[in-house]
Amino acid sequence: MKRIQFVLIAVIAAALLLSACASGSQTSQEGYLGTIKERGKLIIGTSADYPPYESVDEAGNFVGFDLDLIREVGKRMGVEVEIKDMAFDALIAAVQEKKVDVVIAAMQSSPERDEKVDFSTPYHYQKDAFLTAADSPIVLNKAMDAAGHSIGVQTGTIQESWTVENLVPAGTKEDQVFRYERVDQGALDVKAGRVDILFINADPAAELAKELGIKVALVTDETVIGGQSIALPNGETALKAEIDRILAELEKEGFIQKLQEQWAIP
Amino acid sequence: MEFLQNLLLLFRYLIAGTWVTLGVTAIALSTGFGVGILLATFRVYGGAMLRTIAALYSLVIRAVPVIVVIFILYFVIARFVDLSPFLSGSLALGIASGAYQSEVFRGAILSVPPGQMLAARAIGMSRVKAIRYIILPQALRLSIPPWSNEAAIVLKDSSLVYVIGVAEILRRAEYVSARTLQPFIAFGAAALIYFSLTFLTNRALDWLEQRYRVLM
Repeated sequence: MKRIQFVLIAVIAAALLLSACASGSQTSQEGYLGTIKERGKLIIGTSADYPPYESVDEAGNFVGFDLDLIREVGKRMGVEVEIKDMAFDALIAAVQEKKVDVVIAAMQSSPERDEKVDFSTPYHYQKDAFLTAADSPIVLNKAMDAAGHSIGVQTGTIQESWTVENLVPAGTKEDQVFRYERVDQGALDVKAGRVDILFINADPAAELAKELGIKVALVTDETVIGGQSIALPNGETALKAEIDRILAELEKEGFIQKLQEQWAIP
Repeated sequence: MEFLQNLLLLFRYLIAGTWVTLGVTAIALSTGFGVGILLATFRVYGGAMLRTIAALYSLVIRAVPVIVVIFILYFVIARFVDLSPFLSGSLALGIASGAYQSEVFRGAILSVPPGQMLAARAIGMSRVKAIRYIILPQALRLSIPPWSNEAAIVLKDSSLVYVIGVAEILRRAEYVSARTLQPFIAFGAAALIYFSLTFLTNRALDWLEQRYRVLM
């Protein structure tokens, strides 16, 4: 799956090269925000396999904390909201290529992502969790205690890059890092004893651990760099300002707090 | 009882995605069929120019992972031509399958005895006519067994279109797996559907093969 990201970057680079000469200039002051308002519809990209943030319910509707939040943002912008689901790895490219207007997918900003897209102010801060098998002898008092053990992470996540940047220099071998498309795949490998530790976001951790009979060994904010933000196209200041304004409003009104309670998010 | 009910719901949910899978597969296979026949004919009977083009296509496309073709079509080409994710995914698979199918058909055309072409020319048929009425009908029959292989591969590769947001069987199974945290049930059900589809396709092609057998 790492290969997919590499490929995507190559494809986008080619695309940018192609369009460098053909790029039109935005005339209106509002830029892309104007385009969205004119269209009357905000197109959202997400990866709907990450409850409680985003998932698909039994009736086939997109539901979750992120999606409730972005629907409210759309309402306050005075536009409809359309949700497009795709692979998490493809989301940044989708914003760059204007396949979607913004992305909300429990995504945190990072230096690499910042080069390609802009991020709103964070709307939620979360912690990270380390999970081990129920009978595992491994004791984790701080994040760096995970060094030297085999570790599973979700592809394209902040936890993945943190692992590569911090644990690999400290004794975890590169081939001891296992990358999964989804967290439940990693959890199953931890349960089966193929991987020592699973390193993921704290929110789905408790439910995952309970469902599969593994344990949460450590919940920490040592590894957290930023909060979850909405990703939007580079350089669209009017759009960013509008979204930031609405997020601040929602925070002040306690709307976000209420949503967190509704979706049982700490 | 509740378990059975959930299972029923699960299958009903996945079967809605089955139509998407079938649509993607049908478009991909028929696009690939057209491209494949054309390229194979070029390879065998074309002039130097056509032969080179066909060989290059087959070389390049077979060297590139299908997922890259999907990304290129959706993120690069679709900025000039308006293509939905469904269509760009299906066509990308068709473009890729065309390269593989061209090799299938090339092999089949080459195994039609060369005397057939000479005989057709001798009774005054043009080359194009001879290819259309004498060579291809025989070659197509010969190509059914390897083609059924390609059909099964494309059917399963159709799950790749999920990366650009087409919710077919596998993506739907992922939704369920994420929601219920029971991946074995969700993916097991998906596997069962894929198995049935592959089984039925192969049986249908077996029947076709028997029906149009050539005795040479």
